[in-house]
Amino acid sequence: MPGWMKWTAPAAAVVSLTSAAHAVQYLTIPEAQKLAFPSASQFVEMQAGRAWKAEAGGKVIGLFVFDHVIGKHLYIDYAVALDPAGRILRVEILQYRESYGGEVRQASWLAQFVGKTGASALTVEQDIRNISGATLSSHHVTEGVKRVLAAYGHGIR
Amino acid sequence: MAMASDSGGARPDRRPGPNPRSRRGRAFAERCASVRRARPLLGTFVEIAARGEPVTLDAAVEAAFDAVAKVHDLMSFHDPASDVSRLNRDAAAEDVVVDAWTCAVIETAVDLYRRSNGAFDITVAPALQRLGLLPCFDALPAAEGRAACDTIALLPGHRVRFCDPATRIDLGGVAKGFAVDRAVEMLRAHGVARGLVNAGGDLAAFGDTAEPVYIRDPADPRRSIARIEIANEAVASSGGRFDPFGSPDPAACAVIDARTGAPVRTIAGVTVRAPHCILADALTKVVMIAGEAAADLLDDLGASAMLVFPGGDIRTSPTWRPYRAA
Repeated sequence: MPGWMKWTAPAAAVVSLTSAAHAVQYLTIPEAQKLAFPSASQFVEMQAGRAWKAEAGGKVIGLFVFDHVIGKHLYIDYAVALDPAGRILRVEILQYRESYGGEVRQASWLAQFVGKTGASALTVEQDIRNISGATLSSHHVTEGVKRVLAAYGHGIR
Repeated sequence: MAMASDSGGARPDRRPGPNPRSRRGRAFAERCASVRRARPLLGTFVEIAARGEPVTLDAAVEAAFDAVAKVHDLMSFHDPASDVSRLNRDAAAEDVVVDAWTCAVIETAVDLYRRSNGAFDITVAPALQRLGLLPCFDALPAAEGRAACDTIALLPGHRVRFCDPATRIDLGGVAKGFAVDRAVEMLRAHGVARGLVNAGGDLAAFGDTAEPVYIRDPADPRRSIARIEIANEAVASSGGRFDPFGSPDPAACAVIDARTGAPVRTIAGVTVRAPHCILADALTKVVMIAGEAAADLLDDLGASAMLVFPGGDIRTSPTWRPYRAA
């Protein structure tokens, strides 16, 4: 059996993974709301830009909470859907942005993604990179979900 | 090995739906929609991309995420109610009935333990606990009395028994790959034409189009060292863990040689291509530990690997192909 071969990365293969393109918009807030509560007839804002009551037939069927975690090189928007008793129905990532230029906290860098919707601006084949490598921890989102649960997990009437 | 048979068939177009060159096929293609979603599961971000009939797509992706969540619930080391925690607590004293999926993962793990001469070992949990990589719930067994996979008895009726009180298992080295396989199975069962499931870098793709996958440099996660294409197969990587939330620097290696209890330092990172993601995931650990000696086992399982040494040298196993074979 032949042995292992030395492999040299062709220059074209060695790319930076963290250009602005390595930001993925999965869902907008309205899309995520509809996906979490398909039967809801309306979403009533309880706290501006953060918490909505999902209503169907005049009854509250759940709570939708939008939140983000922001680190040194990572920005993640996510949403937590809760049932009326305050139990978690699902946690969905809305946007993921990874960058190393120190611009994650800048408003202008964040603004370039506003208005991009999952369906129109990005396609599976071209813009988004599938990446295999060191495992990314989701610890910060898990901690964020715990905070959301502490604030909204008491249930709604 | 249902997916492996796709590559050798006389009809390359095996995807659900009509022939894409027919009028009906073109209409199908035009009707198709794409979705891409991500959720925090298995301690990482699980991303599912799928293309197919719009009416069934959301339900398919939902079912795929449900499968991943089920694996998370069954195999979490951190959750006291998981199958893994119940086994670690009770299986030395009595038979413990677990889910069929947990049984299947343990069976594959024990098989790989034997095939790899102990390089792959799910009884590595106490070594990981000692290094602070896994939490401790009770007193640790003495290091010298280390149990290995031979002490795990798989009994009829999905019952499991540990024949040594020092046995503790961690399925962290295979559960992600298994979850990816179950999610792919779910998407296909719902008639999805083309899909990709990525659980923190352990991923699998199916359908008639090759998907590009970039491999991160284990020394610098900001860079990619290779671009490969996969179709109806899986890829997984091991090496450091990394957390761009705090720093771009890769953390210490989380792969431990159970036979020595020490982290692997001779290899910086490994990427494995295999017919199924559970194999790709588990084999990354075998190659991290056994290095180039794993060539025969890779070959036996239809897998190939790319190995990155700490100095930056890269080696590929004899059957490694960066691009999809024509």
